[in-house]
Amino acid sequence: MGQQHRNEKIAKIFFLITGLIAVASVLLITFFVFFQGLQPFFPFNKEGRYSFWKFISGLQWKPNDEVAKASYGILYMIVGSLFSTLGAVILAVPIGILTAVYIAELAPRFVVKILQPAVELLSGIPSVLFGVFGLGFIVPIIMKTSPYARGQSLLAVILVLAVMILPIIVSLSVTALQAVPHAYREGSYALGASKIHTIFHLVIPAARSGLLAGIVLGTGRGIGETMAVMMVAGNSGGGIPTSLWQQIRPLTVNIAMEMGYSSGLHQEMLFATAVILFLFIFGINLILTKITAKLGDVDVKF
Amino acid sequence: MDKFIVESMNFYYGDFHALKNINMKLAGNRITAFIGPSGCGKSTFLKTLNRMNDLVEGSRVEGTILLDGDDIYREMDLIDLRTKVGMVFQKPNPFPMSIYDNIAYGPRVHGIKKKAELDALVETSLRQAAIWEEVKDDLKKSALSLSGGQQQRLCIARALATKPEVLLMDEPTSALDPISTLKIEDLILELKQEYTILIVTHNMQQAARVSDYTAFFLLGDVVEYGDTETLFSTPANKKTEDYITGRFG
Amino acid sequence: MSNFKIKNRVKDGALRGLIYLCTGLTVGSLLLILGYIFVKGVPGLSVDFFIRDFNDKTAYVTLQETDDLGVQVEARDDGFYITSMEKGSPFASAVNQNGDRQKLTKGDQIVSIGDTKLTAENCGDLNALLPDTGQVQAKVVRVGGGIFPLLVTTLMIIGLSLLIALPIGISAAVYLNEYAKPGKILRSIRFCIEILAGIPSIIYGLFGMLLFVRFMGMGFSVLAGACTVAIILLPTIIRTTEETLKTVPESYREGSLGLGATKIQTIVKIVIPASAPGILTAVILCIGRIIGESAALLFTSGTQARIPGNLLESGASLTVQAYLAAKEKGDLSMACSIGVVVILVVILLNFLSRKVGKLMTKF
Repeated sequence: MGQQHRNEKIAKIFFLITGLIAVASVLLITFFVFFQGLQPFFPFNKEGRYSFWKFISGLQWKPNDEVAKASYGILYMIVGSLFSTLGAVILAVPIGILTAVYIAELAPRFVVKILQPAVELLSGIPSVLFGVFGLGFIVPIIMKTSPYARGQSLLAVILVLAVMILPIIVSLSVTALQAVPHAYREGSYALGASKIHTIFHLVIPAARSGLLAGIVLGTGRGIGETMAVMMVAGNSGGGIPTSLWQQIRPLTVNIAMEMGYSSGLHQEMLFATAVILFLFIFGINLILTKITAKLGDVDVKF
Repeated sequence: MDKFIVESMNFYYGDFHALKNINMKLAGNRITAFIGPSGCGKSTFLKTLNRMNDLVEGSRVEGTILLDGDDIYREMDLIDLRTKVGMVFQKPNPFPMSIYDNIAYGPRVHGIKKKAELDALVETSLRQAAIWEEVKDDLKKSALSLSGGQQQRLCIARALATKPEVLLMDEPTSALDPISTLKIEDLILELKQEYTILIVTHNMQQAARVSDYTAFFLLGDVVEYGDTETLFSTPANKKTEDYITGRFG
Repeated sequence: MSNFKIKNRVKDGALRGLIYLCTGLTVGSLLLILGYIFVKGVPGLSVDFFIRDFNDKTAYVTLQETDDLGVQVEARDDGFYITSMEKGSPFASAVNQNGDRQKLTKGDQIVSIGDTKLTAENCGDLNALLPDTGQVQAKVVRVGGGIFPLLVTTLMIIGLSLLIALPIGISAAVYLNEYAKPGKILRSIRFCIEILAGIPSIIYGLFGMLLFVRFMGMGFSVLAGACTVAIILLPTIIRTTEETLKTVPESYREGSLGLGATKIQTIVKIVIPASAPGILTAVILCIGRIIGESAALLFTSGTQARIPGNLLESGASLTVQAYLAAKEKGDLSMACSIGVVVILVVILLNFLSRKVGKLMTKF
């Protein structure tokens, strides 16, 4: 009996440890990224010091082995990341939600059987291929109308990102709409409301927390997307984009472009870029938990 | 004055013959109760009267149902029908919005936008449903925060806000506690003055307490239909007697 | 009909139209992407595409003394290709500079024989280029353009990362569902799983490069790539497994415990086998995720399009190479051909997970 009891205890501890690996990973990732990324802003850094203010408000990224000649400003990248994600969300949210409305509320069953795998496929396509599509299809088209010589631009990033976050928004919205109790719809029909009226005035508002979760998740995906964006952004060296035709350099791209060959302070500044990216993602996650917790208890009770 | 006239009406769910050759006249400004064991077709019948069954895939209606002389399946606009015939469901189903917006939902569907007009409608409907005193200070509160009985009275108020002439009630108290049930029953008796009320219930005492007329359904047939007092005291049909004396069902 | 009703009908109709339009746009964007990738990628597919090396490989080989080479070559834009080869040809028994045999086949290129480069003029009669006596050296090229090494690397990463992540993920799910009591530990684990799921690949790539590649000294290697990907997979495995653990009826556990089995016996012999379909779903989802992963592998498993000789050698996965082909070399056709392969695999995986999902609902 004692032996068995010990085995049980060991098993429990083993399972607990595996559970804590997730926690350890998060802590390690956060620690490594912040440790590397914050070093340049403290005095006596071995690789050289860089002003945090110049970093966060700078409009030019020009790495140089001589610290005095280098400039590592990322404000224009933050703006680029925000503009591109915002643009993509503005495009994809209405299209995605209305597609979800069709799938969840209007489509005949056999059409749903075609549409749902299609959406699933769209979300399963690797980001690199969205980049290839952007580079080979969207960029040349933009090049024809753009006042600049290159098609790589904020607009190209917005379009590629919009298509990428579309399936996320559609599938989460479908789930949210389907979770709205049928009794609500019946109640609305019984008051003489049409199906469309019911959808727009009752079902969509009732599903808002789920819809919002999809939007926030899509935003996170947009901010964090790297490979596809890297192929169509143009990756400019500085300057806040003032039109859709201009090239941008999102935060993720900055990291991916130069990580391979960077060293010293330059590399630490890339980690500093990751810190900013991390903060954005963390903020988005926080909003997400807030939404699901707060709006959740209104909707779930019925 | 007959509100509804149902003539040789048959109803099918796919291959299932749910209602068999129903002929019935339903009196205006009276309460008519539909009783019978589960699956007998009483709820289905109720829902043919405002065409809620249209929502069920593969359902089919034969025969005619006249509301004030108009054929509801062929002559009447669906929206007009449902404006005239309100419905209260088995489980209270307030919408996930404020009390005010719940009541104003129906009027808004029908194009009423002026705040003063809506305010007035909300108040009268809530008063009619005997819930005004309880909620008048929290009209902005979520309807989902009300108790079950309050929710059901809110749903009645919501149905009244579109100024219907008929109120269909599908086992409106089956999800409620005895005290809330009594409140709703009082309310139903009150509403009889202005509305034609058709109520499905599997609670026979309730049918006896509130209704003027009762129809007993069994396996899709109307076995007996008549004056409530007569039906309960001297049923003409053996099956009705068995049912109301609790021998089956 | 009243004005109001007409207005309503028009409004409903317009909104309905808008819904159809948006659905069309969604479906259209999918079709456009698939269409682009397939149209550009399918022509590049062939058996060779799957079995060839990615890069051209040039070698000097030594041929036996002979007066008949027994090969025919054809001049194309980019070289002289062997179109037919007799059985006894010395090319079939050529030896490379390391002393290993290197058998040439149809489709390989010959650049020069002895000191003579092949030209449009002399390629008709190769035997004329042979010296009078003795062995002769030839410069040959094994033509690449295939994805075989990428397939191998991708499979290695899939196998290895699942090997690491599955046991951890499954037992973590067991902890969450079978052991954990509501409280701080449970909440922090769940919170961290959410965070892990939300971290972008590029951050994982950075982390993997720092921890596995540098700190732990794995170098750019398949192992470092697999370790990085394993962390990415954890949330998927834990969540999916936990979902199925929840569906295992409590009566199974009670039955087993009632028969005198211990908790751990019950978990290993009853609960985990009963949730096998869910674990299978997790595996399918993970394979899809790994195949699509690129940002995290770029800085961990490297960009060499070759078959890694061991786990500590680097190798590029399919998608990493698709990126390099498109961005660095501007070879969109190659990227699209890889894309076609990847998309077909994704379709297959989606189909499988549907089948497994049906299996699960039966239970």
